[in-house]
Amino acid sequence: MDGALQEPCRSCWSGGWARFRKNRTGMAGAVIVTALYLMAVFAPALTPYDPISQGSLPEMRHHAPGGDHPLGTDKFGRDVFARVLYGSRISLAISFLSVTISVIVGALAGAAAGYAGGWVDSVIMRFVDALMAIPRLFLLLTCIALFSNSIPLVIILLGATSWMATARLVRGQILSLRRQDFVAAAESLGAGGRRIIFRHLIPNTLTVMIISATLRIGGIILTEASLSFLGLGVPQPVPSWGRMVFEGREALLGAWWVSTFPGLAIIITVIGYNLLGDGLKESFDPVHFG
Amino acid sequence: MAAFLLRRILQSLVLVWIVLTITFFLLHLAPGDPMARYEHPDISPETVMKMRGQLGLDRPVIEQYFIWAAGFARGDFGVSFRYNRPVGEILAETIPNTLRLTVASMALYVLFGLALGMMSAARRYSAFDRLNTIVALFVYSIPSFWLALMLIMLFSLKLGILPSSHMQSLDSASMSGIPLFLDRARHLVLPAFVLGVASAAGLARYMRGSMIDVLREDYIRTARAKGLPERSVLLKHAFRNAAIPVVTILGMSLPFLLGGAVIVEKIFSWPGMGGLMVEAIYTRDYPVVLAVNFVVAVMVILGNLLADTGYAVLDPRIMSKETGR
Repeated sequence: MDGALQEPCRSCWSGGWARFRKNRTGMAGAVIVTALYLMAVFAPALTPYDPISQGSLPEMRHHAPGGDHPLGTDKFGRDVFARVLYGSRISLAISFLSVTISVIVGALAGAAAGYAGGWVDSVIMRFVDALMAIPRLFLLLTCIALFSNSIPLVIILLGATSWMATARLVRGQILSLRRQDFVAAAESLGAGGRRIIFRHLIPNTLTVMIISATLRIGGIILTEASLSFLGLGVPQPVPSWGRMVFEGREALLGAWWVSTFPGLAIIITVIGYNLLGDGLKESFDPVHFG
Repeated sequence: MAAFLLRRILQSLVLVWIVLTITFFLLHLAPGDPMARYEHPDISPETVMKMRGQLGLDRPVIEQYFIWAAGFARGDFGVSFRYNRPVGEILAETIPNTLRLTVASMALYVLFGLALGMMSAARRYSAFDRLNTIVALFVYSIPSFWLALMLIMLFSLKLGILPSSHMQSLDSASMSGIPLFLDRARHLVLPAFVLGVASAAGLARYMRGSMIDVLREDYIRTARAKGLPERSVLLKHAFRNAAIPVVTILGMSLPFLLGGAVIVEKIFSWPGMGGLMVEAIYTRDYPVVLAVNFVVAVMVILGNLLADTGYAVLDPRIMSKETGR
């Protein structure tokens, strides 16, 4: 059979992995992200302290870093290191789940728009334009105004307000894939629209989707932290990095460590994901991301 | 040019209308009642009913939508549930403050972004370029609220050289002229730095890429070959062409800055729209939420429009493609 009828390059994957293993940025990111997940999973083994229960206040509050408390204690006498550790669970889980939601919604919307064309395309893409005209934080705050905040709500809202870029990306990919011969071949063999979208088009956009999702996780972590900082994200007393930074601001001068360390944890996590995303991009798909 | 502009403006108006309609139905169809905060033993249910009637909350949603849309078209944004004042008045007080902050941040953003990007591209792969890339990655990953607190800790609390909140000093009423200007400028330094310079990292990376592309062009080689000093090759020939695609990024960065302003205004007690929005969320003040979203959407769409127009003016090839000539 003529090579033009074959789908583009499934075997690129193996070449990509080989390139990725040699990519120093990507590997650094992979190491950081893996280490963070391990810390989140094994948090109880890494610290003897409970992140939520409060010690006796007069003795325990605002201990400086060192000794029994490597990162100090906060105003309720809770160990900052334990709270940062347990906080990673919240941050990683929320960002992972909401990016998954955003990729699924974005892929479906983008695929529908790109494959159907015509008025379906116009309606979906105008809706995308409209949502993108409101800064994400305003959009999120508007939605949060309607409900009382909880962790599932934060996950759903972060996903629901960040799928638009994926939709544009997938739509563009589908438009260019549609014109290729393997789609015409599938159509001439009698494959229906749904089969073509899910069997032929979406699998071919997977690489691009995964890369863009990885690159976007950092932003989602930052947004979640901002919401929690404003008191509109993860509810109390669950330890979340953003809220911990907020709580430390009352005693910035006397107990600088309460705000400083959770912030550093956010930075390291976001850097990890960005390095990982850059590495994946360079190894797997230098063309689409330039 | 007129046809191009007219079409873009019409498209933008439709976009604003879609944004508002989406937000309106989101707010009005979802659970949660703005009157819930008046549920109090001292307030009789009849009074609450009467207030509901006055605010139009007892009518069907579709009817509310048309009343509200008609008001909006006339420039009437309704009455704030919380302050019991026309939303238009509140906005007139807060928008200039937000603009002052965003304009100052935008200036820093453009200045740092373009300059750093250009310097990096000129000395590609040098130690400076590498350092720039690493710092950009770091800055890009810093949460703005954390950066703000760290700067307050250092410059306001430890060194005591910059104010940590508000737009001007308490005794600013007695000032005028240059002292007043200096006082306000001092209050602007930290918030504008957090908002502008922190986002400049992304712009710098983009500018670097664009500049590197341009430096490969033939006319740059020609300029160098005829013996122009490197300085004028970079500033006159390369910079102008490299900045064209960056104009689009500037338009798109406006939502980013306005979103960031929410956090920055909250931390620095800046009396702007961002702080107003957060307060309105805490108290479910829907008319304010809707109006702020409207103003922000208009600003963003206007920014994009300006960027598109600027792009078309700077690069005549775009125009001929658009008009098909």
